[in-house]
Amino acid sequence: MRRGAFKRGLTLFWWLTIAFLYLPLAVIVFYSFNSANSAAHFAGFSLRWYDRLFHNDQLLGALSNSLVLGLASSIVALIIGTLIGYGMYRHRSRKLGWLIVLIYLPIVMPDIVFGISEMAFFVSIDRQFGVLGPSLATMIIAHVTFQIPFVALIVYSRFVGLDPTLFEAAKDLYASPYKRARHFLLPTLKPSLIAAFFLSFTLSVDDFVISFFTAGPENATLPIYIWGAIRRGVSPEINAIATLMIGAVMIAAVLSLLFNRQGRRQ
Amino acid sequence: MVKTDETEPNSPSPYPLAAYSRSMSPDTRHLLWSVAPGAIWIAIFLVLPSFYLIGVAFMTNGPYGQPQMPLSLDAFRQLAGFGFLGWSPGNLYTLLRSLWQTFVATGLVILVAYPLAYHISICREKWRPIMLLAVVVPSWTNQVIRAFGWMNLLSPGTPMADAAQFLGLIGPNMGLYPSNFAVTLGLVYNFLPFMVLPLYAAFEKLDMALVEAARDLYASPVRAFWHAVFPQTLAGLLAGTVLVSIPAFGMYVVPELLGGGRAMMLGNLVANQFSGGSNWPLGAAGALIMLIATFGGLYAMRKVGKRLGGGEEVVI
Amino acid sequence: MTAPSSAETTDTSNGHVRDASAIALKNLHKRFGRDAIALDGVDLDIHAGEFFTLLGPSGCGKTTLLRILAGLEAPNEGTLTIGGKQVTDTPPHLRSVNTVFQSYALFPHLSVRDNITFGLRMKGVPANERRRRVDEIADFIKLGALVERRVNQLSGGQRQRVALARALVCEPDVLLLDEPLSALDAGLRTQLQVELRRTQKRLGMTFVFVTHDQDEAMVMSDRIAVLDSGVIQQVGPPHEVYERPVNAFVARFMGHVNLFEIQAVEGARVSTALGSLTMERPLPADQQQGMLLIRQEVIELGPEVPEGYNALEGVVRERLYRGSRVEYRLEVNGILLMATASNLGQRLYPVGDRVTVSICPEDVVRLDA
Repeated sequence: MRRGAFKRGLTLFWWLTIAFLYLPLAVIVFYSFNSANSAAHFAGFSLRWYDRLFHNDQLLGALSNSLVLGLASSIVALIIGTLIGYGMYRHRSRKLGWLIVLIYLPIVMPDIVFGISEMAFFVSIDRQFGVLGPSLATMIIAHVTFQIPFVALIVYSRFVGLDPTLFEAAKDLYASPYKRARHFLLPTLKPSLIAAFFLSFTLSVDDFVISFFTAGPENATLPIYIWGAIRRGVSPEINAIATLMIGAVMIAAVLSLLFNRQGRRQ
Repeated sequence: MVKTDETEPNSPSPYPLAAYSRSMSPDTRHLLWSVAPGAIWIAIFLVLPSFYLIGVAFMTNGPYGQPQMPLSLDAFRQLAGFGFLGWSPGNLYTLLRSLWQTFVATGLVILVAYPLAYHISICREKWRPIMLLAVVVPSWTNQVIRAFGWMNLLSPGTPMADAAQFLGLIGPNMGLYPSNFAVTLGLVYNFLPFMVLPLYAAFEKLDMALVEAARDLYASPVRAFWHAVFPQTLAGLLAGTVLVSIPAFGMYVVPELLGGGRAMMLGNLVANQFSGGSNWPLGAAGALIMLIATFGGLYAMRKVGKRLGGGEEVVI
Repeated sequence: MTAPSSAETTDTSNGHVRDASAIALKNLHKRFGRDAIALDGVDLDIHAGEFFTLLGPSGCGKTTLLRILAGLEAPNEGTLTIGGKQVTDTPPHLRSVNTVFQSYALFPHLSVRDNITFGLRMKGVPANERRRRVDEIADFIKLGALVERRVNQLSGGQRQRVALARALVCEPDVLLLDEPLSALDAGLRTQLQVELRRTQKRLGMTFVFVTHDQDEAMVMSDRIAVLDSGVIQQVGPPHEVYERPVNAFVARFMGHVNLFEIQAVEGARVSTALGSLTMERPLPADQQQGMLLIRQEVIELGPEVPEGYNALEGVVRERLYRGSRVEYRLEVNGILLMATASNLGQRLYPVGDRVTVSICPEDVVRLDA
């Protein structure tokens, strides 16, 4: 009897928490369809803010900045990170403590310290030598720095999950070092490389703090643009663009669920 | 970077790096070539800037906000409240407020996450991944947008603000933000999944035989929980506490959007010194405190984690 | 139990020319780190077309030796010749040697067919010939429809077959097998032992097989090398290694238990804790120390003692009925003696019975301690 009440209490608590988690997002979605220019009351359904969105050059510019930054940094991070992941695996019998510390550093360092130190560093270099002033380049550098560890760890864990004799089997079956890379390493690694690329890209597009401190005035990314719009006084377009971003996340969530299902079935 | 004096003395090469590379075993060379690009990248673009920032913390503030010689502890004195105009508690309050917010938010997150993680772990197996995903998904949206969502919910005229006004908690025509309360709420909202995941992992591994035995021995569910369940979740709780409290202490976006001047946290103080306020040494000193808190926290967790049995692979 | 198989083995190995060494190892040394010695001066000749087994407990160096043959490990000292060519420093992908790994090491990203063609593809064999050879080998190993499956759809035994096919299709000079049957259950294992041996005989290829299981080694091999602590203890055909082990280690490893230290020698009479035993002929002066071995199955129980046999009195302490045979734990002069009798329908001795033990002088074997 009391057990039943306890369980019912838990279920109620679960739904309350879910409401807590989704309410702020739901409000944004709701008001994005509001015809009135207000967050306080709902005047009727409208898509006008979405329409405005596609004519907002600043916002479209920010979107393209985000994509360029995400793509460029992910490609660089993928190459460098894969090399580290492979090196860590190949030489895992050695003492690589210093490397592990180095790799975890970008992950554990607080965003704000990360961003500020990059910015202070770049600004000082710029003052001294006239290079590396705040620009897309500095943003890419900063993003690659925090993406490298994730790529390296994904690649490393893929290798660790492999039967180590596979490497020997490839040698044994007449594959030269080049052919081993082309016919064994890369194909085996492909799913992990794709995953690492998408994670890097997502981290980059989602990042606000580090971008904010390393960006030049022309390099506002989507989160930076939204931030600025919020600080200037909310425009309902923010609701619309935020809704689109929330939608993208929801699609990603459903996809990840389907992907996991399929993965487990195999 | 590379010590050239270790190359063979009898073969002076115009390319010391190449000569050094040749003097190594093939294995070591392979390690260096694979690991060097990333290691050097992180060293130049993160380690070096961090050391530069630490250096700045010990410099003097120049007239235009740029750091200059001589070395001094001015920045730390300012952080403790000693300015040109005598002592004022502003900065010290910010520091203490950051600690307090971190403490309260972490505590609240534990209170919510603990029953939540338990609930997920006792639900049917096919629902568990979906439930976990449901908890995590909101944190995949951009943190600026999430804070913005709360601004919408807490602003004047919304049902929540109306309710607070009715209860007399806030004055008429006021919103629930900006306020310390809104910052706490934002922090809890941000970091809840970070606590649920490790706790869920602990609950999932829970040895139910021990719980049964405890029900047998202690009879009361409360005592059974305390003696059989709680100790088994301690490692998860510890991991969650680190995952929540370290980033919460350095939080920038939430207090900036939901807090305002009187609910400022250390992250905002630091950021302000590099933009409007322009006092790099003071900002760097604040950042140094954050770094110390971060690495101190991680170190403490490793120590405690080892004492807890070490078997738990705590996430770092 | 090994008599028929060992007779057959002798026949086949006699059929080959003795001096055609497929593999010659000279003074191989291998150390890991500073003081872990894996191989300590190994000299070995493996003949072309023979089924050769490296037998020993884990850590004896047998796997290291196999890996040196494959080129996956380089010796610190010594030379290795395969098919007349010195290959000590040749990397694995340039050696005409293939391995069936213990874990099978099938590539998870490739189908069964692509796994089997992998080696041919790397060697640059044209596609149509690759297809022909894969079909040929699949037919030979009876893979049937398995060729079109994915690797993760295969059972343990099927994986073993695919791994074998993948190595054989390359037609190497030498095939190396690293405990390829150890992951399988007993029934399948026995079946595959027979299959593997037949395959080797039909191809006439040189097989070097590593195992820690002496029964497996005896069933399959033309010759066995017993290793311990990085040193080869004995090389010979199964019956020789089993019936005439050179030392106590080999004897114990081959499953013998009745080993007794030599206490005194007087002509052909040797005294041990078990009692005084007559050997076939007197021990030479340099062999008057060491141990005596009496194999379990040569001990005869019964009232009458055949002419010239050693006779001892014992008590049955334990009896283990195994169907085709019966094992007795006997106490003779306060010492434990194990005896195995074929179950030919004669009477079983109950525990506590006094029995007379007869041992033919020919079956008393002297070996090093």
